[in-house]
Amino acid sequence: MTAAATTPSGSFAPRSAALRRASLWWLADLAGAFLFAAGLAFTIGCWGGLVPVLGGLAAMLVSGLVRAAAQARAAEAGMAAAIDLKARLRARHLPLLFATAHARARMAGEDAARAVDQIEAIEGLAARYQPLARAARIAPLLVAGAVAIASPVAAGILLLTLIPFTIGMIIAGGAARAAADRQLTAIGRLGGLFADRLRALAEIRSFGAEARIASHLGQASTEVADRTLALLRIAFISSGILEFLAALSVAIVALYCGFSLLGLLPFPAPENLGLTAAFFALALAPEFYLPMRRLAAAYHDRQTGEAASLALDIELPAPAASPPRSTVFTGVTLAGVAVAYDGKVAVGPVSLAVPATGLIAITGPSGCGKSSLLAALAGLQPLHAGTLDWTAGTATAAAWAGQRPLVMAGSIADNVALGGGNPATIAHALEASGLAPLLAARGGDEAPLDAAGSGLSGGERRRLGLARALASGRPLLLLDEPTADLDATTADAIIATLRRLASTHAVVVATHDPALAAAADSRLDLA
Amino acid sequence: MTALTPRPADAMQQVLDAAAHTPALRRAGLVAAAAALAGVALLGVAGWFLTGAALAGLLGSVAAFNYLLPSATIRLAAVVRTGGRYFERLWSHEAALGALATVRVQLFGQLASRDPRATRDLMLGDGVARLTQDVDALEDAIIRSPARPAAIAGGVLAVLLALLAGPAPALLLATGLLALPRLAGRVATRMVDGPAAEAQARASALKALVTDQLAAGAEIAVYGLADPVSSAVIAEAAAMDAARARMVRGEAWLAGVLVAAGPVLAALVAAAAALGGASAPLAALAALAAAGGAEVQGAFIRARGKDAALAAARDRLTGLGADTVLPAPAPVGEALTIAGHQLLPGGRLALTGASGSGKTRILESLAGWRADAPQSLQLGGVPVAEIAFATLGARFACAPQSPVLIAGSVADNLRLAAPGLDDAALWDALETACLADDVRALTGGLDHWLGEGAGQFSGGQRKRLSLARALLARRPWLLLDEPTEGLDATSEAELVRRLGMWLDATGTGLILTSHRPAPLALTGQRIHL
Repeated sequence: MTAAATTPSGSFAPRSAALRRASLWWLADLAGAFLFAAGLAFTIGCWGGLVPVLGGLAAMLVSGLVRAAAQARAAEAGMAAAIDLKARLRARHLPLLFATAHARARMAGEDAARAVDQIEAIEGLAARYQPLARAARIAPLLVAGAVAIASPVAAGILLLTLIPFTIGMIIAGGAARAAADRQLTAIGRLGGLFADRLRALAEIRSFGAEARIASHLGQASTEVADRTLALLRIAFISSGILEFLAALSVAIVALYCGFSLLGLLPFPAPENLGLTAAFFALALAPEFYLPMRRLAAAYHDRQTGEAASLALDIELPAPAASPPRSTVFTGVTLAGVAVAYDGKVAVGPVSLAVPATGLIAITGPSGCGKSSLLAALAGLQPLHAGTLDWTAGTATAAAWAGQRPLVMAGSIADNVALGGGNPATIAHALEASGLAPLLAARGGDEAPLDAAGSGLSGGERRRLGLARALASGRPLLLLDEPTADLDATTADAIIATLRRLASTHAVVVATHDPALAAAADSRLDLA
Repeated sequence: MTALTPRPADAMQQVLDAAAHTPALRRAGLVAAAAALAGVALLGVAGWFLTGAALAGLLGSVAAFNYLLPSATIRLAAVVRTGGRYFERLWSHEAALGALATVRVQLFGQLASRDPRATRDLMLGDGVARLTQDVDALEDAIIRSPARPAAIAGGVLAVLLALLAGPAPALLLATGLLALPRLAGRVATRMVDGPAAEAQARASALKALVTDQLAAGAEIAVYGLADPVSSAVIAEAAAMDAARARMVRGEAWLAGVLVAAGPVLAALVAAAAALGGASAPLAALAALAAAGGAEVQGAFIRARGKDAALAAARDRLTGLGADTVLPAPAPVGEALTIAGHQLLPGGRLALTGASGSGKTRILESLAGWRADAPQSLQLGGVPVAEIAFATLGARFACAPQSPVLIAGSVADNLRLAAPGLDDAALWDALETACLADDVRALTGGLDHWLGEGAGQFSGGQRKRLSLARALLARRPWLLLDEPTEGLDATSEAELVRRLGMWLDATGTGLILTSHRPAPLALTGQRIHL
């Protein structure tokens, strides 16, 4: 909670002009403070004189507007800096995140948090904390300088209070860290307990364990409260020191000025102080510690932002090198292929011959590695063991359609064209994938889709993925659960379409569906 | 807290009311008020003291000027303000943490007193996250509540000090301080609420879009679409940022009103004092008290900006309701009927069929967790959906498709099954579930800590831990959803063998679903759905 600026990690050291503008506006706020102090000093110091009092009152009124405007502009500029930073973080992280997302399918929640929540968590740090921290490096000195114009001694008093302030912050900060180290793990563990037990409530009830869990929760909540309070008692001392020196510096300046005006100082008067000068010093004294108090209030922004930036600094694995592409495809043979995640074999060894045309079904229970095997065929997954022998001599380009194909804002034709293709292949793909009824209902292939694919049924979305695979002109179609969760009629229609495509393409499906497996030319059971 | 009795729905209301009226919170309010009084007094008295001292110095009447009282007041005010702020923060946190511990237990008790079938919708998706956010919002409100007595005390003292300079300055200041919340409220409604709601909606839409696109990760990689997909997401995020920027602009105006109030009220009060012919020291006192009085309103007005969200959170927490208790029909006998097939106690049945045919729904409906199985289910001739949850809970132990493990040790998870289980019983169950070797390999063994969602455990290990827990509950029927998922053929055969022995030894009935053939050997009857 010191005035020192945070040292942001290399990934987002913000050097934007907006940040500089925001901190300059915080300094402009000081100009308003000077104006107020001067206005008040002239009003009181020349009480009874019409012109100085009117001038002083006008200055006070204007100072209110100046401060409001400066602080509002500081907030806006800070937000602009934060938006700029967030945009750069997104541009840096999102392409790699999306390119490698398939390898972390089980952690999609964490990926979404990284793409959205963690980048958002940096906003407060960039918008508020960093501009305040920059301004706080020189604002107290500017205040002391302005006070020095009226009373160098009062300015000296303000600066001297920085000595006990710094010593106090170092001692209190060390104590707070030590207390935090003792308590934080326990607090973290106990703190999540409530949500955790609510999530498990149905099972807890089945075992009749609700009374035991409730009493455990009661004890844990009380323990969290006690431990947190022990931590806060020490943590609040830091802000207590800040508050104390803020109040004390005002009090000492007031007393010094008062006794100086009375001529009752216990030492020879170092300067000849008038009421106007004294009042100016007094009115500015509270501004000396204000930047530090603002910074302390934004401390939470700093903590969340720095935690998020640490999480963002964890490097994502580089995307798998895309295999060489060729549209010449005469088949592929898998010999002893195994796929592993984190050194654990997920599937294999598997041997299989995929001819240039025909429908092959990979079956087996959930989690047996059907999708992993498809990913290996697509070149998305490095092989743990075995070889892929592309009989034409080079690896070939595969097309892919999953359970929930990608939909982007744009027309149906645009969506089909995402995998490549020309107008002719796209038109053919729309027809061959059975999308004709959808196009008729929607008024042609230029009908717009929104990014959520609103209005597309599960079957239509599946067909869109299929059309994209066909239009891409790639000879090997890899389809993950093409009929899952579809009603029997729709599934039968998709199976008929796949049978037709199998006469011109190599079609490999991973499926649970016995009807689709039965329609295949050959079948690989991974169970 | 040892026995949960059904609670009336308004018990939560009482707990929340009690949480807002604790002795610690009263103390926090008192010291906050004292700190505000000291803050106003420090500025006002310092201004009066300086001006009075200057006049006395000029007139040479230093001896007649009582400087002891004001200088003592200034020192005292500095100390009281600091101490007041420290204890306000400490005690308001103490009040909030203590009260919310009670609220959490009450909330858990209230939800636990209801039938899981009736609260299923409430707990699905991000329901639990919303409940915890609501509790956090209450905590935040309690911590901020001392701002109110502070604003009142500081405002009243400022007006009283202004009264020393004449009735007009005091009246002006009182009017200004009373108008301030209204003005701030109007700015908030006009400039903050709309963009804030839009930003919130856009943030949810962004998260949904990203989640949706991530699900198509393989397609994105195969077709090399990472760049266009990122661009689309970035455009959506930019729209959200624009809404947030509008919200920040509105908040800046609101803050501007609060910031400008101090100097403007000070100037107006000083002008009124001048017109009323007040002395310079009293004018200084009134002007600085006005600035201080306006400053202490800020925290209170900002806290009021959260009133609407707080009221919504309160409504959700008090509106959790209670089950309408109908006389539940008692089952006649223990015979179980599933889609027309009858099972006697100790019987064993396998459910097969394609995904989506309702296998999981049957098991979870028997367990009393949901009531949407398409097939007819009866216990003792009574439809399961009409039977009280407690009756079902006493008969069925379920190891479901996606088991929920609690954050805690392996032993904590197992001991959920029944009170008073010793380690030997836990190890026996782990042996039967073919998980004992895995647990022995963990650091700490039974005491090994499983984080939230038991992340370090594979799906298969979680399933077998859930199986061991179901075994320990010793209910007449065991419900197993794909119990051997994630096992190799040898381990699967061993699990089936041990489970068979356990079922024979205990005479427990079994209802099982499996895609894999091996576990089907455990059962005599089979229903294809």
